[in-house]
Amino acid sequence: MCGVAAIFAFHFSAPPVDRNELIRIRDAMTVRGPDAKGEWYSEDGRLAIGHRRLSIIDLSDQAAQPMVSSDRNVVLSFNGEIYNHAALRKSLEENGQEFRSRSDTEVILHLYELKGEAMLDDLRGMFALVLWDKKRRSMLLARDPYGIKPLYYANDGWSVRVGSQVKALLAGGRVSRQTDPAGRAGFFLFGSVPEPYTSFQEIRSVPAGSFIRIDERGPSAPVVWKCVSRIYADAEVENAPADASEVKEAVRTALLDSVKHHLVSDVPVGAFLSSGIDSSAVVGLTRDAGEYPIETMTLAFPEFVDHMHDESRIAGQTARTYGTRHTTHRVSEADFHNQLPNILEAMDQPSIDGINTWMVSKAASDSGLKVCLSGLGGDELFGGYPSFRDIPKWVRGMRIPSHVPLLGTACRFGFDLLGLESFGVSPKAAGFVTYAGTYSGAYLLRRGLFMPWELPGILGEDATREGLRRLQLLEHIGESLRPDPGTAFARVACMESSIYLRNQLLRDADWAGMAHSLEIRVPLVDTTLLGNIAPIANSGRLGISKRVLVSAPTTPFGDDVATRRKTGFTVPIEAWMSSSRNILDAWRRVPSLTRSGCHWARRLAYAVHFQSVA
Amino acid sequence: MSVRILALVGDAFGGKGGISQYNRDLISAWSALGMVKQVVVLPRFASPSSLSVPEKVVQHPPAGSALLYSLRAIKHAVRRDRFDVVFCGHLHMMPLAVIISKLSGAPIWLQVHGIEAWSKPSDFVRWCGEKAVLVTAVSRHTRRQFLRWASIDPNRVLVLPNTVGEQFVPDEDRISAKKKYGLTGKRVLLTVSRLAKSERYKGHDRIIRNLPKIMEKVGNLIYVIAGDGDMRCELEELVRYEKLEDFVVFMGQIENSKLPTMYRAADIFVMPSSGEGFGIVFLEALACGTPVIAGNSDGAGDPLHDGNLGVLSDAQELPVEIHRLLSSPRCIGGSRTSDRELERSTRRYFGRAVFDDLVKKATEWFEYAPCSDPRPNS
Repeated sequence: MCGVAAIFAFHFSAPPVDRNELIRIRDAMTVRGPDAKGEWYSEDGRLAIGHRRLSIIDLSDQAAQPMVSSDRNVVLSFNGEIYNHAALRKSLEENGQEFRSRSDTEVILHLYELKGEAMLDDLRGMFALVLWDKKRRSMLLARDPYGIKPLYYANDGWSVRVGSQVKALLAGGRVSRQTDPAGRAGFFLFGSVPEPYTSFQEIRSVPAGSFIRIDERGPSAPVVWKCVSRIYADAEVENAPADASEVKEAVRTALLDSVKHHLVSDVPVGAFLSSGIDSSAVVGLTRDAGEYPIETMTLAFPEFVDHMHDESRIAGQTARTYGTRHTTHRVSEADFHNQLPNILEAMDQPSIDGINTWMVSKAASDSGLKVCLSGLGGDELFGGYPSFRDIPKWVRGMRIPSHVPLLGTACRFGFDLLGLESFGVSPKAAGFVTYAGTYSGAYLLRRGLFMPWELPGILGEDATREGLRRLQLLEHIGESLRPDPGTAFARVACMESSIYLRNQLLRDADWAGMAHSLEIRVPLVDTTLLGNIAPIANSGRLGISKRVLVSAPTTPFGDDVATRRKTGFTVPIEAWMSSSRNILDAWRRVPSLTRSGCHWARRLAYAVHFQSVA
Repeated sequence: MSVRILALVGDAFGGKGGISQYNRDLISAWSALGMVKQVVVLPRFASPSSLSVPEKVVQHPPAGSALLYSLRAIKHAVRRDRFDVVFCGHLHMMPLAVIISKLSGAPIWLQVHGIEAWSKPSDFVRWCGEKAVLVTAVSRHTRRQFLRWASIDPNRVLVLPNTVGEQFVPDEDRISAKKKYGLTGKRVLLTVSRLAKSERYKGHDRIIRNLPKIMEKVGNLIYVIAGDGDMRCELEELVRYEKLEDFVVFMGQIENSKLPTMYRAADIFVMPSSGEGFGIVFLEALACGTPVIAGNSDGAGDPLHDGNLGVLSDAQELPVEIHRLLSSPRCIGGSRTSDRELERSTRRYFGRAVFDDLVKKATEWFEYAPCSDPRPNS
């Protein structure tokens, strides 16, 4: 896990790269890579590539980056881990390639020399990379299919600047701070800024599963090389196992394979452990993979003692079941307030989540860990969210009413006329008829934080109109369904994976983990795993349940975990925001947010946004 | 593939000013490209001119009215020998370009120059503007301002800057240049531009008002204003009001052939504008080896390379910067620079060869894939 930086003065009129700017961008990411730093400059001064390193595989200087090929034609700066690097290395060595390190970075380098960008298909893992191809005089930017690792670029028309973080690009001092209306509107609609937009107009994310080539013409349009919907669409249902026991075994084999791959490391690997199924299964499978005892950690809060949200008791039981070295880290309200400025500083883009991950990552880092496994992604893979149940039902029921002209508008009007929101009815109810008849619309209703018609009260009329115009909201959601993944389950899985998981959970895991120089690995977010599960899911034999995950480890975890109501990895943020005056108080200025019954996440969104533009 | 281009422009061969010069440079660059078969230029306005039109280029006479102009353009578009690209030289001609594109199926290449693209146009023109498949902006600043209101993939908006003519070169004998204009022994500040009321942002008035302050520290100073227009009377009135008649000279319109000498006669070229899309005059002055001061809030950052080739000043600092540069005229961007070095740097980044290469790269978009997203995925 690292930070990459680059500047490419691609335009003939652009001045040579300012080396100090590259250093400013790179070193704004020091926490991403505290172990080493490197930089490389082209002879003509038009290109600079930098790297901050968190050493995890091959800790020696031989694996330092940017890494230059032996013929000096390819230069690579890479963030992430390639879990199948050993197998790829073997095949490359058989092909006559000679290695000078044990790193996964060098595997990518050789693979590119052999196959060009087609090599992306061979990589299993999480990655964001910047690669300079001297022969083609072009730079390749690429990201893994789920978008686990971030990669941003800013094109001012003369030069492209690349970085692992938005704030790092700004720290270079040459990127415009003009805000992006689409990014702002998207944040309030989803609770995270939807890629490829960011909070800033000039900065864009390289879309997940895509690559961009930059040559003397500037950046190309992103080319999608792999996406979640394509994996579902291509799933061969006829090859799916037929009966329940075969399904169980196939899922277990696929999960164990993924967990084994995610344990590749030259430093100890720990795991976050909550009271939920996903993290418990990951810890159980880690033991099955032969990696134990490992360090596990969970969070506990005084506010949750003897409460359903308390994770520590059940997590402790699971830890005993699997014999982990377990610690429970207690976080008080005072700790939260003391750390809040640091959390907001680390938050690369506005988010309504990630505070829990920041805290548990701190605990892991304090324990001396550099790598932790997380159970993120289980809900998207095995249908753990209510959206898997609700959205197909809504679409079936509302397909016809939503197409009746003016009916949706009339319902919205009636909702406002009766003042139903003041009676505690969710604003989403007003848009039910309009939106619930399509997958994109129903997803907006299920996941939306604010509804589009609420935004003028937050952003103002002009910014809302401009933001929604640029965002093209329903089309934006609908992009995750191209190509059509085939089944209702897969459609919801694609939307959850491409929007909520990517823009919220994985991005939060990145900044919150990196704030403590901790690499968070997600064995349940893996395209090989998805490729194995998708035929079962599309055949309808998986069911909409995580039961199959419960039975995956050889040693089952306790019934308390399996039967516990889903709560997520919860932090008492609502109580902390309400109990005292703090730097998140900006929401109190907005009348609609001060109403009783207003969800805390809506208040937090406004407060975080206010902080980010202050 | 051979590309036929229909160019809708304000003026080209026959017009005056930066935009018509830009159009001439662009059309000449096209004509030199092997991939371009023909360029048909439809100027909206154009004065009779002795300028020769390059090979492969056909320039039609201007139409009398907007309606006639549009009808003629549409007639060209629906002829059997179709165009491959519709070049639209001004944002406000985009509605016509969209109609032509719809009729002929040819994709649109829109050029944006400066302030016409800095603020959001009407919703209709914006909608039309967003139909362009490729947009070229004269500077990074104009590109950024355009993208503030246009919802279009930023990677389709390229920068295609001005270039500078070969006649703009330094001459060691600056004294004789001054002598030609009767400026011997003077420290000369020069501005070259149209004096149009619609272009008050050029900043002549700011220089005039600051002259007394500068003259407190610099003797023998004279401010030369080259160019003409409906704002000249206003400026002359201001000069009289400030009692600076002996220190400000209005040269009127200078012929193109005499411009290089005019630039060489100046100690500093200064134009603290706030509305330049790019400012070709900055390149011309630099190519003549004359140090430049420009405003820091518009497209002038490009010709001055963000301050490495000249001084970018805000309004408050203007007298200080003028005094500093007059005291140490060869010290630019933190290092000492000769006339020849200034010219070399200017030509290296904005010379004709660079411009021709950039035009080739932009035109290749259409050669590879003349569709909705023409960028080749190399």
